Amino acid sequence: MSTAPSPRVIDFLGAFATGGLLTLMVWFNGTLAVTGSLLFASWVPHVTGSILAIAVLLFLRPTKASTVRAPWWAYLGGVSGAVTVVVTSFTMSTPLAISGTIALGLGGQMIFSLAADKWGIMGLPQRDPTWRDMAALTLILTGSIILIYFGGA
Amino acid sequence: MLGFAALAVFGGVLVSLSRQLNGRLSLSTSALHSSYWNHIVGLVFITIIGAALGGLFAGDPWGAPWWAYLGGPIGFIFIAASSWSITRIGAAQTALLIIAGQMISGVIVDVALGTAGNTMARMIGVTLILAGMVIARTNPKKTLDKTTQTD
Repeated sequence: MSTAPSPRVIDFLGAFATGGLLTLMVWFNGTLAVTGSLLFASWVPHVTGSILAIAVLLFLRPTKASTVRAPWWAYLGGVSGAVTVVVTSFTMSTPLAISGTIALGLGGQMIFSLAADKWGIMGLPQRDPTWRDMAALTLILTGSIILIYFGGA
Repeated sequence: MLGFAALAVFGGVLVSLSRQLNGRLSLSTSALHSSYWNHIVGLVFITIIGAALGGLFAGDPWGAPWWAYLGGPIGFIFIAASSWSITRIGAAQTALLIIAGQMISGVIVDVALGTAGNTMARMIGVTLILAGMVIARTNPKKTLDKTTQTD
C-alpha cells in the first residue's frame, strides 16, 4: 500500500474528459439497442474495442510497469463490467426506469469508491477522503440528480 | 421495489469495482494493457452469456447506422483513461470527475441536438457540478503551494 502521487490539473481534466467519452458510448451503444438486443449493444463495442486493443498492443508495444505478474483477480474487470450491463438492463425495465437506474447507480459508485480509497482495497493507493471531497460529492451528485430528473422535457 | 433499488445501487458498485480492478492491473502492466484485458475478458464473458441465454442477435442487429458500431474504440480509450486516472487521483475523485464529465457533456449534446428540456434545471445542475469540481480540485494539503491554486 502506498500513498497516491499528488494530483495534477491534467489528471483532473483528463478524468473530466473521460466522462465525456461515456456520453458518446451511451449514445452509440444505445443506438444499437434500438434495433438490436441489449446484450448485442454491449457485445458489439467489446468486439470493436478488442480489435483496437489488439492493434494498439501490436503496434505501440506499451511497456509494462512491472515484471511481477498482477494477481489473477485483477484481470476480472471485464467480467464486472459485463455483469453491470446485465444488472442495469434489468433495473431499467423495472419502475426505476433509466433515471432511477442512473441515480441509484451513481450513489453505489460513490459509496464503493470512497470505501476503496479509505481502506486501499484492491491494492490501489490508500487515500483518506477529506471534507472537501464530501462537499464536492454532495454538489456533483445533487447537480446530477437535478439533471437526471428535471433536465429533460 | 426496494429490491430493484438495491440492485441498481449494486450496478453502480460494479462500475466502481471494474474501474478498481482495471486500475490495479494497470499498476502491474499499463493502462493500455488493462483496457485490452478488460475488453478481451468482457467479450468472452458476454459471448458465453449470449450463447447460454440466447437472443444475442434478436431483433434487427444490423439495422443501426454505421457509426453506432464504433463505440468500442471509444470504450477502449475510456477504460485506459479510467485506469490512468484512478491510480493518480483515487477512486472517489475519478468517479466524481467522470460523472461530472458525463453529465455536462450530456447537456451539451442535448442542447446541440435541440433536445427539449428544462433550461433552468440544466443551468442549476451544471452550475452545481462545476462548483463541486472546483472544490474537489482545491486540495487542503496544497494550500501553501501557490502553483496548484491557479484553477
